[in-house]
Amino acid sequence: MSLEKTILIINRYSSFFLDGIKSTLIIAAFSVLLGTVFGTLMATMRMSRIKPLKILATIYIEFVRGTPLMVQLTFMFYGLPMAGITFPDISFIPNFSRYTAGIVAMSMNSCAYVAEIIRSGIQAVDVGQMEAARSLGFRHSQAMSMVILPQAVRNILPALGNEFVTVIKESSIVSVIGIADLMFRTNDVIALTYRSLECLLVAAVIYFILTFTSGRLVALTERKLSYGRK
Amino acid sequence: MEENNGRVLLEVRHLHKCFGKLTVLEDINTTFRKNEVVSIIGPSGGGKSTFLRCLNLLEVPTSGEIFFDGVDICAAKSDINLHRQKMGMVFQQFNLFNNMNVMKNMTAAPIRILGMDKEQAEAKAMELLERVDLADRYAAYPHQLSGGQKQRIAIVRALMMNPTVMLFDEPTSALDPEMIGEVLDVMKQLASDGMTMIVVTHEMRFAREVSSRTIFLESGHIEEDKPSHELFDSPESPRLRSFLDKVL
Ligand SMILES: Nc1ncnc2c1ncn2[C@@H]1O[C@H](COP(=O)(O)OP(=O)(O)OP(=O)(O)O)[C@@H](O)[C@H]1O
Ligand SMILES: [Mg+2]
Repeated sequence: MSLEKTILIINRYSSFFLDGIKSTLIIAAFSVLLGTVFGTLMATMRMSRIKPLKILATIYIEFVRGTPLMVQLTFMFYGLPMAGITFPDISFIPNFSRYTAGIVAMSMNSCAYVAEIIRSGIQAVDVGQMEAARSLGFRHSQAMSMVILPQAVRNILPALGNEFVTVIKESSIVSVIGIADLMFRTNDVIALTYRSLECLLVAAVIYFILTFTSGRLVALTERKLSYGRK
Repeated sequence: MEENNGRVLLEVRHLHKCFGKLTVLEDINTTFRKNEVVSIIGPSGGGKSTFLRCLNLLEVPTSGEIFFDGVDICAAKSDINLHRQKMGMVFQQFNLFNNMNVMKNMTAAPIRILGMDKEQAEAKAMELLERVDLADRYAAYPHQLSGGQKQRIAIVRALMMNPTVMLFDEPTSALDPEMIGEVLDVMKQLASDGMTMIVVTHEMRFAREVSSRTIFLESGHIEEDKPSHELFDSPESPRLRSFLDKVL
């Protein structure tokens, strides 16, 4: 391995890598966004007093967390079509069905983890906070929005940041269904140059920059929510 | 000590409370009158907190009736949030809202629930803070305050709603000894201002000297319920006698 060769590869194939970064970020951003939205919903169901909702959510969360993402992803893209369920293709967005399958699988997976993050974040808030709010005459929903959730967010946000970092890393798996993400593009460059070591090193550094940056951004937001604490 | 003949504010009838198979309160009957200060004493696990929490339905009674200002608050159609606004509660662990500073802690409920406007609520909060010597801490967050300061603020936070009765659950038990006095002083002040107070406490001096009546609650029963000086000076039941021997 040589530094020169590495620089040469970066220079010559930068468009490959940039393309890959773009796809990786799109997949990760959509997955975390949808995962958070549905994860919140799932957490609400999981904590609901309505038994069937609670059971349904619990089964979903346990099942998704107990099966490999690889299985979930290939099931979406290769399994479902055999049952006649396909993600549609749209002419003006290339590879729409692949992306959709990838994002759906990733966000359904993330949803389960986010739901648990949110639930434990809420349950970590001292019960005395809810009791004090109720004793003043706040309704449950008011106490939730004014007292519990603002405190839960402080527990939830760091874990959610970690989840985003995890999704960025795990999204490299979507290359197996032919999505041209960073991992997929790296393999392209390897095929063209036969330089696995240098190419994988470049990919690793890029992944690291992506995860490290998002980690910092989360830490910054956290500090804003610290309510006067150092 | 003068006999209390204010009007009945709270009436508890045949109150039972079970947690699963465990019966914690069994057939509790008592009344609380306006301007009365009542202490509840008794051994640990006897059901004092559970009883107090039943009064504002933080625990739902298994059976029985609780009349507050003549209304059965256990009845299905009673609006518990409305009743709770009139019952202030002070907890052993203070339970100030950690995400709000002192001013917000105090004004959130009157603004959101009573629809008081912000300036008015803040002026009232400052007035109450001055009364407990904490006017300079209005911008502090709970974690920046000592236990005694937190508890004094918890008390005035409850007062912001103009409650007709204040419930205290061992308000000084989580405090370092040197801070107990400052909280008891606020409570004494409140008592002499005529607030109706129900106080679960291990402070026997407070029970004897400040409260007009004391209830001895043991294993889910009211063993004795009488004027404080009588209860302390001539305890009748052997259980109360042995309890007082231990704590005094
Ligand atoms: N939520 C609950 N679930 C089950 N059991 C409970 C619950 N709350 C209280 N208990 C039980 O009820 C009994 C009475 O408890 P309570 O807290 O009312 O006692 P207490 O007189 O306030 O005691 P202490 O002086 O220690 O505060 C105890 O045996 C306790 O374990
Ligand atoms: Mg107790």
